[in-house]
Amino acid sequence: MSEVPTFDARILLEGARIVAARVDEDLIVREVVGDWCEVAVGEDVRDTVPALIGMEDELSQELPYVQLPFVSLGMSHEQPVAISVKRDWETQSLWILLRDVSEEASVQERLVHQHNALSLAHRELAAARDAALTADKAKTRFLANVSHELRTPLNVVIGGASILRKQRDKPLPNDDVITFSNDIHDSGILLLQLVDDLIDLSRAETGNLTIYEEWCNPSVIIDEMVRLSRGLPEAEGIEIVYLPNENVPEMYADPRRVKQILLNLLSNAVKVCSPGSRIQVETEVLGSGDFKITVRDNGPGMSQANLAIALEPFGQPNAETRARGTGLGLAIVAKLADLHQAKFDITTELGKGLAASTSFPAMRLSSNTG
Amino acid sequence: MKAHKVIVIGDFGVGKTSLIRRYVLDVFSDQYRATLGVHLYKHSDVIPVNGTEQQIKLVLWDIEGAPLPGEQMMRYSLGASGAIVVGDLTRPDMIEPMRRAADMIEARLPGRPIGFAFNKYDIAPAPNDSDIAALKDRYGALITCTSAKTGDAVPTLFRNLTSLILGKKTGAL
Repeated sequence: MSEVPTFDARILLEGARIVAARVDEDLIVREVVGDWCEVAVGEDVRDTVPALIGMEDELSQELPYVQLPFVSLGMSHEQPVAISVKRDWETQSLWILLRDVSEEASVQERLVHQHNALSLAHRELAAARDAALTADKAKTRFLANVSHELRTPLNVVIGGASILRKQRDKPLPNDDVITFSNDIHDSGILLLQLVDDLIDLSRAETGNLTIYEEWCNPSVIIDEMVRLSRGLPEAEGIEIVYLPNENVPEMYADPRRVKQILLNLLSNAVKVCSPGSRIQVETEVLGSGDFKITVRDNGPGMSQANLAIALEPFGQPNAETRARGTGLGLAIVAKLADLHQAKFDITTELGKGLAASTSFPAMRLSSNTG
Repeated sequence: MKAHKVIVIGDFGVGKTSLIRRYVLDVFSDQYRATLGVHLYKHSDVIPVNGTEQQIKLVLWDIEGAPLPGEQMMRYSLGASGAIVVGDLTRPDMIEPMRRAADMIEARLPGRPIGFAFNKYDIAPAPNDSDIAALKDRYGALITCTSAKTGDAVPTLFRNLTSLILGKKTGAL
């Protein structure tokens, strides 16, 4: 039978800032070697070394494995210690070894600081790179969309004009002349609208879209826009109404931009509704004091996936409306609402219509309503 | 009275030390200083257990941060009665390291209660409902959005976890 080596704490302690405490099975200190830190005979070692709390099961093992390289008390600034445990086979007791690791700790602390700073910088750079790549992709997609949207009406203008030019050689029937002229006119209007929308969106993105605020009456604006939208070519057979509320406050806003918000929302509703549908504009002063204008239709509505598409610039989930708009309307509405610190919100469900609301903050409203 | 060991783990810079210092000392500092190894905090509190107020003693282990649990973290977790896994709400990729840390706890300390602390709630929104539901389902864990800076929900986090620890010991849970 091989001899089990005896643990001799004194040999270990030579020249080192270390304390060894021999404890019994109840973890009461029976002997202390070294005076570097206060561990008193007769005390529970866990009072001085709380790191041993919870480790009773491990310490009761024949070969306990406790190796804690850097432990310090966070409430004071005591030097960190390395804690380890050895069993003394002769006395069957445990030796708790505490070693001062202040010097290693100060070196390691600097290394940890450097490592953490580098890791954080790396993460920030990676996030910035991802954001730049996403922005670059969005810009490319946007330019491709702009090119496409410009080409479609331009082709109509060029094609129609080419046919009309050939009249000198071969006159066209009057109806065809009128049709081609209308197509050229409508495409020109669409182009102008697209360019205006692009300018607005670009200004809003760069923070250069200015609003000219004044006290205005939302009821008057809504009424005007409702009447205007009734005149849209697609509005035939659609009932468009304003349900005035008695408590419509005066509002400090840019009336031209509020009109633009309403007209965009109304014309979007008109485009998706079929004859016999109803579009109504409602107003409400919310409990928070905010003023909410809602354009509600009983048209086809849309799924949440299509709504996400519709909110993107050039996003037109419906192929039929694609030919009749720029796809920038909702993006511009959202920007214009934002410029007024208003909240823009859409609720919709496939087959159950759509409600687009703009809630202007209470601070923009006059205190006297009615 | 027996003291309970609770380890607090997570990536570096997520606010582990700040959460503990807010709970134990009711202080907060904006100055970030990385924890090296482990800092121990002894703390006494009174919490309700099975309808009665009970005095408890905790030893909180503020363990050096790491993106993923390593050998060091496992060594320090020995004998813990419960664990708090801290994540930083401002970091978009916070959930996966928290899961990995919780997996380590489950493997090393089976059956011990786990609390997830989503910290920095004063400057970032709560995680989405599906992430919270997934963590609850997977680990049966406490989920708390905390702010070490304002102190919001910090005592609640530690007290609820301690209640779970005591509940398990008394068989109430």
